[in-house]
Amino acid sequence: MKKLQHFMLGMSLLLAFTACASPIKNAKTETYKVAGNCDMCKNTIETAANKKGISSAEWDKDKKVLTLTYDSKQTTPSEVLKRVAYAGYDNEQFLAPDDAYAKLPGCCHYDRMKKETSVAANPANEQKESETVVNEQEKGNLLSGVYDHYFALKDALVKDDGKTASAKALALAKAIGEVDMKSMSSEEHAAWMNVSGDLLMHAEHIAETKDIAHQREHFSKLSQKIYTLTETFKPGETTYLQHCPMYNDGKGADWLSKENAVKNPYYGSSMLTCGKTTKTIR
Amino acid sequence: MLWMPLITLAQKTVRYDLYVRDTIVNFTGKERQAFSVNGSIPMPELHFTEGDTAEIWVHNESKKKTSIHWHGVILPNEQDGVPYLTTAPIPGGTTHLYKFPIVQNGTYWYHSHMELQEQNGMYGAFIIHKKEETKLPEYTIVLSDWTDMKPFEVHRRLHMANDWSAIKKAVVQKGAVQSYADAIAARSLKTKFGNEWKRMLAMDVSDVYYDKLLTNGRSEDEVPAFKAGDRIRVRIINGSSSSYFWIRYSGGKMNVVASDGMDVVPVPVDRFIIAVSETYDVILTIPSENTAFELQATSEDRIRSTSLWLGTGIKQLISPLEPLKYFEGMQMMNDMIKMDGNLDDMGMNMSLQQMDMNVVMYPEITGSKKKKKQGHKHMDMADGKQYKSNELSEIVTLNYNMLRSPVKTTLPEAKTTVYHFELTGNMNRYVWSINNKTVSEADKILIRKGENVRIIIYNNSMMRHPMHLHGHFFRVLNENGDYSPLKNVLDIMPMETDTIEFAATESGDWFFHCHILYHMMSGMGRIFSYENSPPNPQLPNPEKSLKKLYADDREFHFMFLNDFATNGNDGEMMLQNTRWSLQAEWRLGYSAKMGYETEVHMGRYIGKMQWFMPYVGLDWRYRRMESGETERNLFGQVNTHNQRTVLCAGIQYTLPMLIVADVRIDTDGKFRLQLMREDIPLTKRLRLGLMYNSDFEYMAGLKYILNKSFSLSAHYDSDMGFGGGFTFTY
Repeated sequence: MKKLQHFMLGMSLLLAFTACASPIKNAKTETYKVAGNCDMCKNTIETAANKKGISSAEWDKDKKVLTLTYDSKQTTPSEVLKRVAYAGYDNEQFLAPDDAYAKLPGCCHYDRMKKETSVAANPANEQKESETVVNEQEKGNLLSGVYDHYFALKDALVKDDGKTASAKALALAKAIGEVDMKSMSSEEHAAWMNVSGDLLMHAEHIAETKDIAHQREHFSKLSQKIYTLTETFKPGETTYLQHCPMYNDGKGADWLSKENAVKNPYYGSSMLTCGKTTKTIR
Repeated sequence: MLWMPLITLAQKTVRYDLYVRDTIVNFTGKERQAFSVNGSIPMPELHFTEGDTAEIWVHNESKKKTSIHWHGVILPNEQDGVPYLTTAPIPGGTTHLYKFPIVQNGTYWYHSHMELQEQNGMYGAFIIHKKEETKLPEYTIVLSDWTDMKPFEVHRRLHMANDWSAIKKAVVQKGAVQSYADAIAARSLKTKFGNEWKRMLAMDVSDVYYDKLLTNGRSEDEVPAFKAGDRIRVRIINGSSSSYFWIRYSGGKMNVVASDGMDVVPVPVDRFIIAVSETYDVILTIPSENTAFELQATSEDRIRSTSLWLGTGIKQLISPLEPLKYFEGMQMMNDMIKMDGNLDDMGMNMSLQQMDMNVVMYPEITGSKKKKKQGHKHMDMADGKQYKSNELSEIVTLNYNMLRSPVKTTLPEAKTTVYHFELTGNMNRYVWSINNKTVSEADKILIRKGENVRIIIYNNSMMRHPMHLHGHFFRVLNENGDYSPLKNVLDIMPMETDTIEFAATESGDWFFHCHILYHMMSGMGRIFSYENSPPNPQLPNPEKSLKKLYADDREFHFMFLNDFATNGNDGEMMLQNTRWSLQAEWRLGYSAKMGYETEVHMGRYIGKMQWFMPYVGLDWRYRRMESGETERNLFGQVNTHNQRTVLCAGIQYTLPMLIVADVRIDTDGKFRLQLMREDIPLTKRLRLGLMYNSDFEYMAGLKYILNKSFSLSAHYDSDMGFGGGFTFTY
């Protein structure tokens, strides 16, 4: 009996060993530069690079180097690095798509490998670019960071994207903490102090979860508070107060948007254009 | 070839020699037959300058007849290259000269118009430069689709509603079969039931599985060496047989400057769909150095893509398009289709690609999650906002309303004749037609030189169609009024109504047809024929020629199936065309007691949806009965004979849930009612079949599809009991 137990133990150890040891045939090992920041990055990069029995990879956070072992008859380093780039990480062969990079959690927003020299693509784009510049100059608002992140959060909810919403809410919470209160007038300071605690609380709640229904509950309250701020702190550009009469069992909810066209953050794709603009804030 | 227009070409005769040969290609690791021209696929890129005379010698060194059509090019009728309609086909081993003056400029292409040769490699770019061209570097890409299956096989299988193509797609992308298991996984079982209730097969945006998509004959093509800030004109030609492509660029917006060869006022977009046989010119900007930017073409079904890399160095990717949300699309179709099979746009007045019902399937526009089922009363359907891609998202998608001609395109003052074309189709039997008539079933449309022709097209089928007019440009009437764009291909989506018009300035016969190759070959087209045209020297016997043209959509397709099981052989054979069907079924036991049975009938499908088929036939059966044994049916009718030979007449009707009801009476006065449903897709490869009839015969069977020819099968049959075996399908 004992012998059998030993045997079993031996077998399971052997199995465990073979499972750990890479079973990759025709193995080749090479290293590649892959950008990234943190342990979360490491996890994402390795998940993207690994493919059972075909490729296995380890990413060194400090050196920013991916050690890749792959079956040279089944795949190529390019294929693996392409997957890593699609997951959001620049590397020596591929630059990640911009939207893939944007979707990474806040802590993973590493410095990109290539700073694009922006070039006016065509007259239409030129015009657009100069417009944005003007807007940014006009802004000079104490709460511009808060507003920007609020809009980013709203856009994520419009897209039913709980993960991005969570990341954007985290950024919003950070921006709330970094608001420059010293430059505020006493009136502004009072208005800010009145709601900043609630803002932070709702932002953090949204950041903590990826459950979009829960995020939307907090977003409706967050939006009310943000709206009260627009009285004192004018947003840099024209902003619209919009209203969905359906949300919360017909009690309705508001939100702010930079565009007049309705894109409902409370229902997202299921009824994107439900709602109406109730007020224009200039 | 990177074309740098350094010199202004003088007016001259430009000669090309094209050698068509049978060849063996290997795109996927498997060797396949194809056609090469001057040794390459695609055919060579031809360049001309406006004012030249084209002299193209086609040396047909293959064994097959061929005929080359110059797509979008204005030319004399007998040069148009539609075999038997405008030009005599070129027999193997002979040479034919095409000669015509070049009277326009822009991006065009050429392809074989003979049978299915276009799918086999016969397509290429036909570029006409302006006399004085802006000094931009330019590059041309010809997009195409490649299948390892013979085009003839592809076509035959489409007509037999064979779902092997969907299974192949599902290998690449889960869920493409849209089986009941897929429906349960997507929590859309009700949607799937609703779909079959309305007698539809799986929701699909394209019919054919392609093994490869190609840019200039390669999976990935590249143009090297650009500086930051360089601008390049890319001429994009969709030379595929049945694939639409989404075009996107990783280096920013694309500036669309021409469509189907005609200039348009530049419009910057994030993406656009290029219909089969359309061409678009875009100007791209290279944002930075030492980086290659991706111009990606993804098939509309999002199964595969192909790319052009602009520049060298580290590659800036663009995110792949996420898989379609098939069941959202299916629900949308369920909502839009009426019980009689007609489409109902719910008063949305759809036109010009603005309202894309498919956006409900696009995760990048409508989110990746399944839509919540909440009653939302004030979701105003009438303005169709929820289908307008550009209002739903930041992504700017080109549509025909955004195309504006830089010059007035109004037609000369003349009498205008208006035609109404309803695009009709039947997915289950792959019948495609206009006003429910195929090319061979309809008369030529007679038009007069000097008049204006306006066509109002309504797409009442469930697929989009790229409708192409030979030898003319038409105006696509849009909000730009006098400046409506000129095109020669109109992509029209299901439920859309578009208006096009052209001035009748030519003579001869001109083809107007859907450019999806398999739709065209099924008869989706019309012939515009100028009254009092001079005789065409190419076609000495026009009536005989026309019959040959008509033969395309009159073709019969053959199908055979036999189940070799332990309890007997079960099989059927079908020979079908647009309207007629000859069917034979057999059940052969291994002993006289089990019996032998065959039924043969010939029927004709009636109506647009082809749910109704009356038939006549002959039945023969032999079964040795025990003495005193009688058979009695639901109606109390009795049979005591071992052998019976009877004539019968009956009707088949397809019920909701795709159940085929078959009622018949034979010369012995016996009635039979039978209900049958085959090929219920349970999972990707598992199919269920059920049958019951008033002779108290019943059958239930499962089939597991191994490959395109073989399935494992198991069934229970009231005559023969339980059996297992394999099924061979051709």
